[in-house]
Amino acid sequence: MANLKNIKWKHYINYIVIAVFTVVVSLLSFSGVLKNSDIYLLEKIAIAIILAVSLSMVVGFLGELSLGHAGFMCVGAYLGGKTAVILEPILGEYPTLIVSLLVGGLVAALFGVIIGLPALRLRGDYLAIVTLAFGEIVRSVFMNSSDESFGGSLGLNTPRFDKNALFIIALVLVLACLAVTQNMIRSKHGRAITSIRDNEIAAKATGINVTKYKLLVFTVSSFFAGIAGVLYSYSNFTVQSAKFSYTYSIEILVMVVLGGMGSINGSIIAASLITFLDVKLQTILTGNLAVLQDLFYAVILILLVIYNNAPSLKGFRDKYNIKVLFDKFKRIKKNNPSKINDDEAKWDRVPTKIEMDELLSVDMRVSSQYTPDKPEKEDNNV
Amino acid sequence: MKFIETLINGLSMGSTYAMIALGYTMVYGIAKMLNFAHGDIIMVGGYTIFITMSLSGNPVLGVIAAVIFCVALGITIEKIAYKPLRGASPLAVLITAIGVSYLLQSIAQIIFGSAPKMVNIADLGNLEFAGLTVPVYTLVTLGCSVVIMVVLSLFVKYTKTGRAMIAVSEDKGAAQLMGINVNRIIMITFAIGSGLAAFAGLFMLMKSPSLTNTLGAMPGIKAFTAAVIGGIGSIPGAMVGGLLIGVVEAISLTIPAIAPYTDAIEFLILIIILLVRPTGILGKKKREKV
Amino acid sequence: MKSIFKKAFAVVMALTMVFSLAACGANSYTSNNTEFVIGFSGPLTGPAAVYGVAVQNSAQMAVDEINAAGGLNGVKFKLLATDDTHDATKVAANYASMLEGGMQVSLGTVTTAPGLEFTNLSTEDNVFFITPSASGDDIPANDNGFQMCFADGNQGKVAADYVNSIGLKKIGLFYKSDDAYSNGIYKQFKENLDSSIETVEAVFTDANATDFSAQITTLKDCEFIFMPIYYTPASIFMTQAKDTIAKDAVYYGCDGFDGLAGQFEDFSVIPQEVSMLSHFDSNATEGAAADFIAKYTEKYDADTLNQFGASAYDCVYAIYNAMKAAIDAGEEIDVTISASDLCEILKAQFTGDFSFSGVTGTDITWEDNGYVSKEAVKYTLKTANSAQ
Repeated sequence: MANLKNIKWKHYINYIVIAVFTVVVSLLSFSGVLKNSDIYLLEKIAIAIILAVSLSMVVGFLGELSLGHAGFMCVGAYLGGKTAVILEPILGEYPTLIVSLLVGGLVAALFGVIIGLPALRLRGDYLAIVTLAFGEIVRSVFMNSSDESFGGSLGLNTPRFDKNALFIIALVLVLACLAVTQNMIRSKHGRAITSIRDNEIAAKATGINVTKYKLLVFTVSSFFAGIAGVLYSYSNFTVQSAKFSYTYSIEILVMVVLGGMGSINGSIIAASLITFLDVKLQTILTGNLAVLQDLFYAVILILLVIYNNAPSLKGFRDKYNIKVLFDKFKRIKKNNPSKINDDEAKWDRVPTKIEMDELLSVDMRVSSQYTPDKPEKEDNNV
Repeated sequence: MKFIETLINGLSMGSTYAMIALGYTMVYGIAKMLNFAHGDIIMVGGYTIFITMSLSGNPVLGVIAAVIFCVALGITIEKIAYKPLRGASPLAVLITAIGVSYLLQSIAQIIFGSAPKMVNIADLGNLEFAGLTVPVYTLVTLGCSVVIMVVLSLFVKYTKTGRAMIAVSEDKGAAQLMGINVNRIIMITFAIGSGLAAFAGLFMLMKSPSLTNTLGAMPGIKAFTAAVIGGIGSIPGAMVGGLLIGVVEAISLTIPAIAPYTDAIEFLILIIILLVRPTGILGKKKREKV
Repeated sequence: MKSIFKKAFAVVMALTMVFSLAACGANSYTSNNTEFVIGFSGPLTGPAAVYGVAVQNSAQMAVDEINAAGGLNGVKFKLLATDDTHDATKVAANYASMLEGGMQVSLGTVTTAPGLEFTNLSTEDNVFFITPSASGDDIPANDNGFQMCFADGNQGKVAADYVNSIGLKKIGLFYKSDDAYSNGIYKQFKENLDSSIETVEAVFTDANATDFSAQITTLKDCEFIFMPIYYTPASIFMTQAKDTIAKDAVYYGCDGFDGLAGQFEDFSVIPQEVSMLSHFDSNATEGAAADFIAKYTEKYDADTLNQFGASAYDCVYAIYNAMKAAIDAGEEIDVTISASDLCEILKAQFTGDFSFSGVTGTDITWEDNGYVSKEAVKYTLKTANSAQ
């Protein structure tokens, strides 16, 4: 039992929350309290979390922008769905589920390698446009497939899994996805990955195999996108390629960004919250009000990104943020500075580049008003 | 004969793409940001033409109003959404641009609804010579875009502001030290890009009268593809890329077997070109520094 | 450490609260109904909104009329509209929320892609639906589904029969290759077309496509062009092609053409002949259709007037008439009747000798497999200018 005390529970809190939540909703569902609409909502939330967490690895930790996440999901959904169609009469429901999850995930991962290998030579915006192009190509190929192969324009008819079991399976897969990503990020590989994000050339110079790590992250991320795709095909009667356009990739990206880049828990919260609001508002708002919802998202997105990233708002950000508010709230309750609770290092929140710069240039900040980072302030005319 | 007509169609489609791609490439070359909302400025230009024409009935007035409004809008967006993020990571800027794109689309839908609006600008008819039937607007768009590209190239090469633009795109810090007002230059770039978007909106409405709030979305993406293919940051590159995409699209659409895959083929060309020449056809190779 | 558990516990409790809130575990959601609830899911926002809004307005108009006339034996009707933005993944949530809101009978979905999802969902609970406009061949695949519009395959077949009968050697085909509606008609058309007729095909894929010059060049020499597409791309095509395609050519479309004339300030700028095979003409000047158009334009924006709405108006009245007929035949329909019980009653009516006359046709009956059987009329929207 002595070991138990050394475990940093803080690192496992997200597993605990999701696991307990899964158990509780399963019990509720068995006792017949959960309505169908709740079950659909849970399925959607689980799929969104898997997508957001896997994309957050590429965007938040590796620092590369992928706009083709829906493309990988599309591959998983169609191939997993097709596997299910073929195997279900032979193997039965549960073995088929496992096989199709593996097929969907692995084929998506394979596509991740195929696209990643050449594309990761490119940087930043170029990678974004290539992944976007990939997603659109995949979609177009499935959309124009023949009726016998993947259903073409009508979509692929897939068996819908027992709805009282699927959301539990999906939540368990969320845990699995979390376990893989979190362990990877907290290992030495994770530190290598974030060092690539912060400075690729410096990372290369320290002997990190940049290509290997980029490819690894890309592959794992597309594997989970594929898994999410298979779950999607199981939670719907038809898989229609129209869903997987680049706008859906952007929706996932928005979840990652709103959750905070480089924060897995943030992605989970944002994915759940956005999906929850989407589904609830969809049935409440109609007509122009529903458009207002899009407008609202767009404004929030812009404001949040500016608040989080604008160099000139740094002072404001340090003064007013959730952490400060929390601390204030805490201090009122119990102010005991002598008590040190735990190791305060936060491994789920890897420092970003800007924070590293701060750490390294403390003297600059304290000594003067001189800010070499933004010389635009001097106003000279041409 | 049909092939020549297809080719002319392609060049005309391509010149619209080129017009949008010019805006992308200028902004990317100078502000180093991917302005995802560029396509939606085309849509705003279209709606401005629609409003002015339904008020006054004069297409010329509509175009002037669209250019003025789009330029003002471009500057405003730059000031409010992009300027605070100067110096932040490119990813943050890109995501803001996506946000602006959604914002413009949803505002347009709230104001104008989702049913398409019909705008009949001018009926130019067809031109027939040597057995060819060519709609006049194809020639007009092609001609206009070539003229605009040449003017733009000359502007960048020979005026003080133009050369300041080159300086800023080469090295922002050094340009500042040389006494160039970087903020002003970036603002001018956005103004030019948005003005070009208004023209692209005009070209698109000349071809087809239907106007919706997603008018600029797909052409925007394709034009960006064109800009990357041509070498982003290069003005002739945008033209070459745009025309290439247009011609490929026109030819592919006339071959029944591959016609449904037209979009896929265009994107495939992008991927191949980027793999062979990561900086595009006319782009310059840059060495990265620590 | 303890505080972490406390926090975790609090989060879980909060989440559970959200889900168990208002969960009463009742299986019969209709037990508290005070009026008959009709539900549907359609694109009320987004690019296809014009169809969903037409259905919502027209169905509401029909419901209001029925209620104003005293409802069904004094019991009023209520319309429950949900928005799916033409996205199949949103249907399940809409369907569940409508069912939990007491839906007893449904108009299904407005468009085909979400409709395929709806068909399967409604079969699980045995909910009767008659869709105004989701024309996919598989929509009425199960017992509980019916269509008020023609099925795509059927339209393709009728159109092919017509083309076979007029003796052409070469025709043009213009369709949207990734669209269920367009593709569905195209396939059946191709299958039933005489093999001696040569076809020239052109396609497009982008829903917002605005430049058809490449396709027009392909179809240039055709005297007859069959276009199973919706009116927006059709109007763009015609505008761009008006000088290139022969002046005496014929454009022939299906019910998607309805609303085409409204796209032009002056339809006569198109020199070619335009006709369509449909069940409703939104420019009709006489008969039931004209009455409907007058009522609709008085109440709502004329921009959204189309055959989708007319069909939805008929759907509501068909349901009302069928319920009334069932009561007359001795069935008991209480306001709290469950969706499944009502489904059995309505199914028996619709597959029996029930017939309906409305805006989109007279003496409409339904086949056992849910397809509608009514007369498809060839409307000539405009004759060729040279013929005048």
